[in-house]
Amino acid sequence: MVNRQPIIAVIGAGIAGLEAASQLAALGYKPVLIEKAPVVGGHVAEWNRLFPDMTPAEDVLQPLLAGTAKVRTLLNTEISAINRLKDEYNLILSDGSSLLCQAVLFATGFHLFDASKKEEYGYGIYDRVITNRDLEQWFNSRQDARIDKPRAVGFVHCVGSRDLKAGNPQCSKVCCITAIKQAIEMKEEFPDAEIYCFYMDLRLFGKKYEDFYIRAQRDYGIHFIRGRISEVGEAIDNRVVVKAEDTLSGKPVKVTLDLLVLMAGIVCNPDAQQYAREIGVAVDEDGFLKSRNNLAAITDSSRPGVFFAGACTGAKTVPETLAEARSAALAIHNYFNSRG
Amino acid sequence: MRERFASGFDPFVIPFVIGMAFVLGYCLIAMIRVICQLPKADRKRFLLSLITPKYIWMNLRDIFLNCLIHVKLWKRNKVLGYMHSSIAFGWFMLIVLGHLEVMLFVPERIHLFYYPIFFNYFVAETEQTLQGALLMFLMDFFLLMVLSGILIAIIKRFASRIVGMRRTTRLSALDRVGLYSLWAIFPLRLLAESFTAHISGGSFMTIPANWLFRQFLGNDLNALPTWWAYSIALCIFMCVLPFTRYMHIPAEMLLIPMRNAGIKIRHPRKGFALLEVYSCPGCGVCIDACPMSVRKTNCKDATVYLNRQLRRGNERRIAEISDKCLLCGKCSAVCQVGVQGPELRVAQRERRKFALTPSYTGMDVQPLTAAVAGKGGVLYFAGCMTQLTPSIRRATASLLDKAGVRWHLMDPDGGLCCGRPLMMAGRSEQARELIAKNLEIIRASGCDTLLLSCPICYKVFKEEYPLEGVRVVHHSVFFQELIAAGKLSVTHEDGLRLVWHDPCELGRGCGIYEQPRQALATAGEIVEAGMHHAESICCGGSLGSLTLSYEQRQPMTQNALDNLTVADPDQIVTGCPLCLATFVRMADRPVRDLAEVLDEHC
Amino acid sequence: MDFGFKLSPSSAVNLDTVDHRRFDRLAQLVPDALTCIGCGSCSATCTASAWTGMSVRKVLLGLQRGQDAEVDKMLSGCMLCGKCTMVCPRGINTRQLILTLCRLDKKGEMVR
Repeated sequence: MVNRQPIIAVIGAGIAGLEAASQLAALGYKPVLIEKAPVVGGHVAEWNRLFPDMTPAEDVLQPLLAGTAKVRTLLNTEISAINRLKDEYNLILSDGSSLLCQAVLFATGFHLFDASKKEEYGYGIYDRVITNRDLEQWFNSRQDARIDKPRAVGFVHCVGSRDLKAGNPQCSKVCCITAIKQAIEMKEEFPDAEIYCFYMDLRLFGKKYEDFYIRAQRDYGIHFIRGRISEVGEAIDNRVVVKAEDTLSGKPVKVTLDLLVLMAGIVCNPDAQQYAREIGVAVDEDGFLKSRNNLAAITDSSRPGVFFAGACTGAKTVPETLAEARSAALAIHNYFNSRG
Repeated sequence: MRERFASGFDPFVIPFVIGMAFVLGYCLIAMIRVICQLPKADRKRFLLSLITPKYIWMNLRDIFLNCLIHVKLWKRNKVLGYMHSSIAFGWFMLIVLGHLEVMLFVPERIHLFYYPIFFNYFVAETEQTLQGALLMFLMDFFLLMVLSGILIAIIKRFASRIVGMRRTTRLSALDRVGLYSLWAIFPLRLLAESFTAHISGGSFMTIPANWLFRQFLGNDLNALPTWWAYSIALCIFMCVLPFTRYMHIPAEMLLIPMRNAGIKIRHPRKGFALLEVYSCPGCGVCIDACPMSVRKTNCKDATVYLNRQLRRGNERRIAEISDKCLLCGKCSAVCQVGVQGPELRVAQRERRKFALTPSYTGMDVQPLTAAVAGKGGVLYFAGCMTQLTPSIRRATASLLDKAGVRWHLMDPDGGLCCGRPLMMAGRSEQARELIAKNLEIIRASGCDTLLLSCPICYKVFKEEYPLEGVRVVHHSVFFQELIAAGKLSVTHEDGLRLVWHDPCELGRGCGIYEQPRQALATAGEIVEAGMHHAESICCGGSLGSLTLSYEQRQPMTQNALDNLTVADPDQIVTGCPLCLATFVRMADRPVRDLAEVLDEHC
Repeated sequence: MDFGFKLSPSSAVNLDTVDHRRFDRLAQLVPDALTCIGCGSCSATCTASAWTGMSVRKVLLGLQRGQDAEVDKMLSGCMLCGKCTMVCPRGINTRQLILTLCRLDKKGEMVR
């Protein structure tokens, strides 16, 4: 294999960055992974098990780590500024060094919506209100005082997604299936608990998702209530009282819960927006980075030499992200080939 | 001094006489009409106030300070203040001194009301006396004062930024006629008096000008046409005055005594409302002040344009402007004449006809009444909005417990609306029904204090509920008192920078500015927003607006946040659940209720 | 044979005969009316719902399903408190919607 010279800055070492870097390395390029956290793996590394096969997150990460073992990886490194030169990009890193590269791959991923911005749900106010991430971390660590043998658990879909007021009118895509996954896991953990999912619409589009839904209904007896929770109050015993409308019966419902899990939605990583602005890469109306073409060129940006992979262009599932990372690696390969 | 003409008349005074007669007649009829349109009780009250010494003194003082000196404008903008007072006061003094001259030198002509205006044309100076020279000097002095004001006005018209205004109103065609004739009057007077200064005498301005003109104009042929022009300019100004914004000059002189007598808007188009509309000078201060005008949007919906459309009777625009407004009250706070923009708009809303009218009389509030019956003490009404901000309710409850207050929640599972949103929407009759229901509950509780954490509720409970014997208090005031009385001990956190956002309904609405700041100062260091107190900027979430969409409100919220964070505070603190919920979505730093901050430091 | 059952014409919504005029006019004046996703936030939070079953969601649906009597009953309990506007995920100006609706007669004409 020839040793190709171009250096590619891969911003973010989540699964998109890792997969793309490992593919680029295999193609003979010199990717450099830049990660602001002290560890690689991104959101997936914080997760416990993944839908739809309940695969341990570890199992997804292992091959990616193996594939990038020889890739230069800068941890705890933020990007202070990006400059666009003629055919190259110059990244100034938080350690003061700079990195000159011939292509930039945004694998900046997403941020979870800050659930405390939805005042009415009482996140950060009530002890019994947590987010999807909190719950996933509890699955990993088993340490969270807020989760104490709950007898009634509620899941609120669409917290900060499909919500104009939250500045996020689009669907976050993966929360419905995540809620069902977590509901099943909670039911497995606490078989006597009543579990409620409050949804606006259930969007179970992916492979095996519908089966998951059927299992949640049939095998786990999870209650699905079509109605968005509007208020969360507190009962005298510190439990939370949620109010919603069961829109199917047209009646208001009220239920007292030991635990309320907010399915915080997916928003674009604000850092990515900042970098994009610095080098003149378009940001879409939804706040995510704008692909050159949403059908045929999702990994291409509006600028030559800048590419996207994963959730920086919108909410993605794990397989979609991985496929896109490979696709981005190929797009970069083609980019350099076409330039000779 | 001697008279030049035995007749004491020249045809050039005719335009002035016509103009003067017209404007006086018009204003007299308009005044009688406005007074007749008042409801009977209001009319009686107003007329009585005119013969009450206390009110007479108040009216004279206010008319002098506001109409002539423009003290309010001085406080706001020195250049504009000088411009207005120089023109108004200078002109006033010219008229007064003109009369003085006539009385002094030709007292037999005092009955000719054009004489003081054109005095210099009709007299010839026979001898120089000290008092004559002084009068001449003063005439020139005040003319110079007016001219300097006119100069600023001309500059302002072409470059409003120089005098500190970002936006001024667009003038209508008649306004332009009025404006240009007003500009013309005083330079023409200067010219006319200069041309005749060698006959009538003059002072430091007219005599040198006269000398100058005589250097290249060999005769007096220019004098008479200039006096004609001066008279015609006056005539034009006075004839268009009733149809231009200059109508505010006579209107304000009636508005001040009426307001002093406590008259309020009772009809959307008649009586006091009509008077307010005509009192609007069209200065456009409300355009810059309006929170809706951020990013140059909605500039045409400021109060000045409402007044203009009300004068023109453009119903479509009146409805649009009336419904869009946030009712934040900032335009009234900055208005020099005190036109009540929000009240005027609500009056228009009340005029609407509805196919369907809600009724709450059938609602059985027995369960709510029974829940609080006989509890006494402090009754805390959280209100609708606080249901959506549980942090406020929780912190308020916690503080009340810490202070050892005996209290009960009036609406643990939700209650009735206070009625204020209905009133804002112009449905005050329906609001009365809700008020009656809420009164039942409050009375049954036997409480001595009604505590509110929402300023929207607070305003209506304070102003519209007949709650004799029950103290209605906003939580910011209540907690400040508890702290002052030592019932709550707040630990001061050094270096914690807090900015207080004055909610419209609490600040401008109820005049509560200091207590929340005093309470907050016990927990941290207070920094002020760019604009604060009565000039605070509405959060954009107000229930006052009926038509503004969420997208339209967003830039207003951002603008208010930018204003709050000029001093880079650590936290934004407010006392209104609606402001809180509005800000929290867009703020880049924590937004908290006063109760939360206090509770955290208690 | 008589089983004691009859066709009940009122229990079904016949979209062929539903009078849309009021809704159409409303949608014209307040286009937000078309964007409701029926999540029920408004109904759940509504201050008036405990008394009249007021629900902006049901009002909008009822208008499109010919349930005029129910719609009017619900509307007559609304207190305009604005909570529904606060919680609506689609940012619908529900107060404007309700006030506009109250000004329309059965045929969708604005009363004057």
